[in-house]
Amino acid sequence: MNKREGDGVPRKNTDAVQERDGSANSSSPVIAAFKVFQQELDTKHDKYERLVKLSRDVTIESKRTIFLLHRVTSVTDPEAILKEAEVKLEGVRQKIGQIAEELRGEDIHQFHRAFTPGIQEFVEAVSFLHYIQHRSLISLEEINARLVFMRAEKGSAEDLPPGAQVLTFQVTPSDYLLGVADLTGELMRMCISSVGNGDIDTPFQLSQFLRQIHDGFSFIGNTGPYEVSKKLHTLRQSLGKVEDACYALKVRGSEIPKHMLADVFSSRSALIDPEEGVI
Amino acid sequence: LFCLLSGDGVPRKNTDAVQERDGSANSSSPVIAAFKVFQQELDTKHDKYERLVKLSRDVTIESKRTIFLLHRVTSVTDPEAILKEAEVKLEGVRQKIGQIAEELRGEDIHQFHRAFTPGIQEFVEAVSFLHYIQHRSLISLEEINARLVFMRAEKGSAEDLPPGAQVLTFQVTPSDYLLGVADLTGELMRMCISSVGNGDIDTPFQLSQFLRQIHDGFSFIGNTGPYEVSKKLHTLRQSLGKVEDACYALKVRGSEIPKHMLADVFSSRSALIDPEEGVI
Repeated sequence: MNKREGDGVPRKNTDAVQERDGSANSSSPVIAAFKVFQQELDTKHDKYERLVKLSRDVTIESKRTIFLLHRVTSVTDPEAILKEAEVKLEGVRQKIGQIAEELRGEDIHQFHRAFTPGIQEFVEAVSFLHYIQHRSLISLEEINARLVFMRAEKGSAEDLPPGAQVLTFQVTPSDYLLGVADLTGELMRMCISSVGNGDIDTPFQLSQFLRQIHDGFSFIGNTGPYEVSKKLHTLRQSLGKVEDACYALKVRGSEIPKHMLADVFSSRSALIDPEEGVI
Repeated sequence: LFCLLSGDGVPRKNTDAVQERDGSANSSSPVIAAFKVFQQELDTKHDKYERLVKLSRDVTIESKRTIFLLHRVTSVTDPEAILKEAEVKLEGVRQKIGQIAEELRGEDIHQFHRAFTPGIQEFVEAVSFLHYIQHRSLISLEEINARLVFMRAEKGSAEDLPPGAQVLTFQVTPSDYLLGVADLTGELMRMCISSVGNGDIDTPFQLSQFLRQIHDGFSFIGNTGPYEVSKKLHTLRQSLGKVEDACYALKVRGSEIPKHMLADVFSSRSALIDPEEGVI
């Protein structure tokens, strides 16, 4: 909230002196113009606040979906978890529909910072589910194709031209990028937990997949949004952890029984010295 | 912290996971059952925290708008209308705090304090600002808390509850009160400068004394209070300095400058630095 809030517009002292001399507030055209500004600004700030609240709800529900999805590595039947995740994401989709409704007819860039955290978290959750199901990266077009909302108004559907009944929400390329960068952290976590469960295929798949994503981000370099550089650094660390896991599996895999693999990862000092015997 | 503690993401020991992979049903293990209970508790707690954050944001926004409204009293001939409107706004804020109190019923307040503390500090700032404008004094913590008493209005069940359960109170903590008063000093400084610009030469001197007393109080607390106090004390010193510079300009230059030019003196502060400099 800055000082440009409608209720606190600073006035020139000459105007104030005239006012003190008894002229009514409402007669001056300058005061009238400022009252209009006050309305506009209050309306804009209220909408921004509603979008922030919706974005927080989207973030929380997306995060819970991601935590749910992490459990697929440790149960025999992942189908139930995937179904539950899809239900949760449908709820998130509805919230994004409300965001789209608020943004109808507005300049999206004025409100982008209100909803960008929620949208990035949503991209992360959707791409995580997509990877678990298809072992591939969901594209931005696929995400946007699902964010199409029909406007359901009772009794007025026939009055509107067909185009006005459809509301779309477009995830921006930069939000998509940042969401995918966060996805890599979750994939690293999934890799480590799958090793602990004795799954020795997933880490190698993930290693290749993360390597491709990392190369893509390096290709972008510093031409993207500024948050990308920090996320690229985190991505390198995640990639390093996944590749260390694959190294441990390959080099030590034949030596260690599966149910002891988790212990190898919990004491990483065992991996540093190649001459060290198996503990 | 939120993501690590959420019920949905509790990490399990690998031995448990291995047993599970061997086919035992999830629901049979007492450990799993216990964790499901933890999941419920944590999700409920986090949902309540989030509701409190949203209420606190509403309290903050409405309190800030009240403060902006109150700044206008220095420049209108009839402040009564503004004061009435401010009281209406603050009554709305009071209702929101009633909702916060309802959420906190039966809960450990300290687990949720960080959710609503920004809103409460902003509310203290707004209420004390209104009180100063009306009474030229600092509202006390007891007075603020006395107004935060809410009657529980439930249809048809009022007779079933013991009388004590129908009343809900919200207690502003002393640290929230302190921090709200510290923010108040910034608003008072702003009011001082704008009142000078409007030709009011009494208010700055009153404010100078008042802020000096508040400053001395905070210095008395020193570093025994909440850690945010030290930063606010620094800001308070700057505010006090600006107010005292305004009083200096009025006293030393007041006889020389016509009232309607006072604002120009304050907009170019370099004129105040050199006493030998003539009036521009």
